[in-house]
Amino acid sequence: MIRYLMKNNFKLMFRNTWSIVVMLLGPILVIAVLSSAFTELLKSYEGVDEFAIGYRMEEDSIMQEYIEILVDEGRKNGISFHDYPQGEPLDVMERNGLAGFVEFSKEEYVIYKSADYEVECITLEYFLGRVMSESVKGYLEVMCPADNAEVELPVSQLDFMPSVNAKDYYGIAYIVYFCWCGMICATGMLSSEKKYGIERKFQVSNISNTQMYIAKLVPITLTVFGGMGIATVVSAVLLDIHWGNILLSSVIVFMMIFAGSALGMMIYSISNNLAITMIALFSIVWVFGFFGGSFETYMYSSMPEISKQMSPIYHGTRALVELSCMGQSEYVGSAIVYSLAIVVVCFTIGILAGAVRKRGRA
Amino acid sequence: MEEIILKTNDLTKKYNNKAVVDNLNIEIRRGEIFGLLGPNGAGKSTTMNMICSLVRPTAGSIELLGKNPWKQKKEVIHKIGYIPQELAVHGNLKAWENVELFTSLYGIKGGELKKAVDESLEYVGLLERRQEFAKNFSGGMKRRLNIACAIGHSPELLIFDEPTVGIDPQSRNFILDKIKESNRNGATVIYTSHYMEEVEAICTRIAIMDNGKIIACGTSEELKRLVSNGNEDITLEEVFLTLTGKKLRDYAE
Repeated sequence: MIRYLMKNNFKLMFRNTWSIVVMLLGPILVIAVLSSAFTELLKSYEGVDEFAIGYRMEEDSIMQEYIEILVDEGRKNGISFHDYPQGEPLDVMERNGLAGFVEFSKEEYVIYKSADYEVECITLEYFLGRVMSESVKGYLEVMCPADNAEVELPVSQLDFMPSVNAKDYYGIAYIVYFCWCGMICATGMLSSEKKYGIERKFQVSNISNTQMYIAKLVPITLTVFGGMGIATVVSAVLLDIHWGNILLSSVIVFMMIFAGSALGMMIYSISNNLAITMIALFSIVWVFGFFGGSFETYMYSSMPEISKQMSPIYHGTRALVELSCMGQSEYVGSAIVYSLAIVVVCFTIGILAGAVRKRGRA
Repeated sequence: MEEIILKTNDLTKKYNNKAVVDNLNIEIRRGEIFGLLGPNGAGKSTTMNMICSLVRPTAGSIELLGKNPWKQKKEVIHKIGYIPQELAVHGNLKAWENVELFTSLYGIKGGELKKAVDESLEYVGLLERRQEFAKNFSGGMKRRLNIACAIGHSPELLIFDEPTVGIDPQSRNFILDKIKESNRNGATVIYTSHYMEEVEAICTRIAIMDNGKIIACGTSEELKRLVSNGNEDITLEEVFLTLTGKKLRDYAE
């Protein structure tokens, strides 16, 4: 019986012109407008020219071994490192017009930043972070080599993230946003049920609460996935947005849509009011997006790390952006697991809320 | 003696300690068309809702075909066809899709479902219009579609909650004929309406309900005899007003 219910729910959604227009044209228009508006903003980040950094290395610093590689990799990435063994770092920076200065002591380093080179200093921090993490890996491999393994310092193969352009970033960010708000395409189906008192007729039948819930959740998820698929293809063709690894990106997008739909259905189960559901869903997604730093370019996000890590949208956006510009991302797993956890929790609460509401009415 | 298809024992529903249905005892026999009359707020819809397991009773019990519809819902619910007062059809689905949707809820599928859909639509005279969207139907056609959606699974008990509200005399006449036809084909019917002539025309037994209680029950003739005082021309409406009073009832049910 659930098959027929799902089939007709699909029809009800597809016959609601307004929701289809919002679903398909919404992301395309938003991407086109915002990516164009933010191109200039992003240029201020990516348009960083080559810049100079001073450094000083103490003799017992563990970075001694890597300084040549660091200087080489820095040059490749537009950072020229210059050794200044003498003088106060701030004086040296000012005298030589340096963007920053790094003091490498035995087991740590200190970065001095020039207020005039804010973006360059963020780039330097990111660069050194990558170098240090690769150096630690290399150090461990040198200290504990596998049997007969050729020792190779991975730091020499540093693979820095290619910069993402505004269209790609905002294209992906807003597709993600629409994925989470995809429940909007179910308004036709849900309002029709409500308006005509159809839920009562469902209750005078053999269909269970869980079946009714699934018969809505699955069509919503698949319809939004289809819509986002079309929006994605159109965004790639018309706006030249790159999606990187198509398979992994599709899995992440699907899981986020599934989570967004489950979240929306849970709110609807609790509130039994479509307007409240939409307002609450959009608000929650906005909070996730804002405090997850997803409306800013994440590499330059000003949000605290904990706030970002708590946002499922951050994980999804970051994974998709990294897949787009690097072809891989450490955030793929967390994006999928986070979404799955939301699906399980919201599904359970949604079913329980529906049962409680039914008992309350009775 | 005919089998009792529905029996309520001291059925009670209270909202905020106020009894909307108060120790209701009714027995409906197989093959009857049982009319339930009452002013607004009498408790008719609440009684219907309790029978359909939409509202849980506060006290008392219901036996539907020997089973408790609250405890044994799965075993008994498919034997009910519920035609609500609202036009419970999706406007954006075609006539046949609406019937398919509601009939499939009772586990009917495949060829059997297709056959049931066509038969239901033919029964209410909408087979020719099966491909049209329900939103384009007139009020009378929507009422007929509402009925088609409730009969596809061949229920033994049909519950009509004011099925002729707001439709033209032709559609009303058609629906009443179909109710009688369903009854002749073996269905037991519970029918509520405010139209006395309808109830008198089709019901084999009538109960008049007020303030949550049955205040009179019997055939149309028996009810008339109760209050006629020798007046043989008394109508059912006069009986109703005599028993329930002429005071306006502004309750919301």
